[in-house]
Amino acid sequence: MPLPTPEHILRIAPDDAPRATVLFVPPLFEEANRTRRTLVLAMRALARHGLAAVLPDLPGQNESLVPLDQTDLHRWQEALAEVSATLDGPVIIASLRGGALIDHLASAAAWWRLAPIGGASLLRTLMRARVAADREAGLTSSLDSLQAEAATAPLLLAGNLLSPAMMGQLGSAAVEPVAPLRTVTLGSGANAIAGTPLWLRAEPGEDGAMAEAIAADIAAWSQTCGIS
Amino acid sequence: MTQAATVDTTLRALLADVLGLGEARAAALTDDSGLFGALPEFDSMAVATVLTEMEDRLGILIDDDEIDGEIFETYGNLLAFSLRKVTD
Repeated sequence: MPLPTPEHILRIAPDDAPRATVLFVPPLFEEANRTRRTLVLAMRALARHGLAAVLPDLPGQNESLVPLDQTDLHRWQEALAEVSATLDGPVIIASLRGGALIDHLASAAAWWRLAPIGGASLLRTLMRARVAADREAGLTSSLDSLQAEAATAPLLLAGNLLSPAMMGQLGSAAVEPVAPLRTVTLGSGANAIAGTPLWLRAEPGEDGAMAEAIAADIAAWSQTCGIS
Repeated sequence: MTQAATVDTTLRALLADVLGLGEARAAALTDDSGLFGALPEFDSMAVATVLTEMEDRLGILIDDDEIDGEIFETYGNLLAFSLRKVTD
């Protein structure tokens, strides 16, 4: 059997040797596209803080050659663990939204999570999009009928062909404990980042100030954790 | 703020977040403002995202069979549905 093609990894690094590498775990599915631009701006900002940053493609996402219906959350967790193991120096894992559901198998010196969300909520939104699209097309479906369909065959949800394994794992996935961990939300206050929930947005946008805030918060957290 | 005013404010902020309306456009929505079918950004994915965010931010649960096309026709319809849900 041929070896699987390695996934693309976007890497942005400072000119000098980095203090550590931030491994970004993007939100899942369409939310990843909506946030990618701002995430990459945050990666550039991290370089100015002396930190390298990598953003890997998950198998089945972006430029990956793996068909999406042949992957699931567990495979993504393993893929991230493999990426983490190849990185030199201390690794800080920074996950957004559903990314926080797959970031715990990888080894790291510290974790950082922004607006983590449970898998059930993500799945519900994807299934509702399918029901709404079906209704527009004059078809009748429901969350229950889709769930039943998904038990035995891959199901197309908002452009994503999801395997029964993926559906099952998403439905019950919760963020797992890791340490040391800093969790931030959007908003104001000590444990929040000011910005816009770009992952919700119907049309892609960017938030440069939020990218700077993300980078600054991760850089400060890395120092709190004694990574220098 | 009355509960109705709170729901109105929450709903406008939510639509601004999901549809990228900006504060001015969100504030200018009236009961008659068209949503699904009228705003190009308001596609089936946006409908789904709005429903899940309504549950989160308004602390309600929305059942599959409560949703029909009419709810998303106008801002007024969506607001009326939300108010009914939070007072249920």
